[in-house]
Amino acid sequence: MTGLLLGQIILSIMLASVFLFRPSVTTETGWRIVAFIGLGVLPALCIVGGMNTHVQRSEQTSFCISCHVMVPFGRSLYIDDAKHIPAQHFQNHRVPADMACISCHADYNLYGPLFDKLRGLKRVYFQYVSTPPDPASIRIPGGFKNAQCLHCHLGARDFEGNPVHSAMMDSLKSNQMSCLTGGCHDTAHDIPNLSHVKFWSPVQ
Amino acid sequence: MKLRQFGERRLLQVSSALVILGLLIEIVSLLWIHPLAFVLFAFVGASLTGLGILVYLASLVFGVIPPAENRM
Repeated sequence: MTGLLLGQIILSIMLASVFLFRPSVTTETGWRIVAFIGLGVLPALCIVGGMNTHVQRSEQTSFCISCHVMVPFGRSLYIDDAKHIPAQHFQNHRVPADMACISCHADYNLYGPLFDKLRGLKRVYFQYVSTPPDPASIRIPGGFKNAQCLHCHLGARDFEGNPVHSAMMDSLKSNQMSCLTGGCHDTAHDIPNLSHVKFWSPVQ
Repeated sequence: MKLRQFGERRLLQVSSALVILGLLIEIVSLLWIHPLAFVLFAFVGASLTGLGILVYLASLVFGVIPPAENRM
C-alpha cells in the first residue's frame, strides 16, 4: 500500500516538475488536462492516501508504545498473570496483537476515530511542548466505558452464558455497573506495581 | 492579455513548487516511523500540497480570458 502511494507521489512530483520549469506548455489543451491531473487530482489523492496510511499506522501497537510514556503500558501486556485484563487479552490473541491498544481504547462511535486522533494529538503536545504525565497517573477521561468491552463480548456465548453477566446485563449495557471498576475485572495495566510482577516471554 | 498569461504561469509555478514541497515532506513522513511523522504530514505536508492545489485552482480562475478581451 505504501509502495503504491509512494509511486503515485513520485509520479505527481514528476508532473508538477514539468509545470514548475515549463509552465508555458499549458497553452496547449492536452497539457492543460495533464496539469489538471498533475496539480489537482493526483496531489489530492496523495493527501487522502497519506492520511489513510498514517491513520492505519497509528492504530498499531508498536506506534502507541513508541511514545516514552506508553512504554510501561506496552510492557504490562506481557505480565504473566491471567487476572491482568489487557495482558490476558493480548497474550491469548483475544485482540489482534498488532492492534492491541486500539482494540480496547478505540471509541467505536461514528466520530470516534476522529476524537481518538484529536486525543492523540493532545498527547503529542504534552510530550513535546508541555510536560509529559507520569505513566502511573494517566487515567482515561470519563473512565473506561463498558461499550469498549461489549463491542466484542456482547453476543458471545461464554459472556452471555455466564449467569453473573446475564443477571446484570442491563446495568452493563447502560454503563451503570462498570466492567473494570465494578469490582469484577479491576486489574488493568497496574503500572505502579510493574516492577513486582513476573513477565511472560513469548517463544520466538 | 500578456500580463494575465504571465500571472497564470507564475501561479502555476507557485502551485507546482508547493505541491512538490508538500509531497516531498509526505514521503519523509511516510518513511519516518515516529509519532511526529503524522504531525509532519498533517500540518506541513498535506497543508502545503492542499495550498498548492488551491493555487492551481486559482490559476484556472484567473487564467480565464474574459469574452470581451477574447474578441480583441
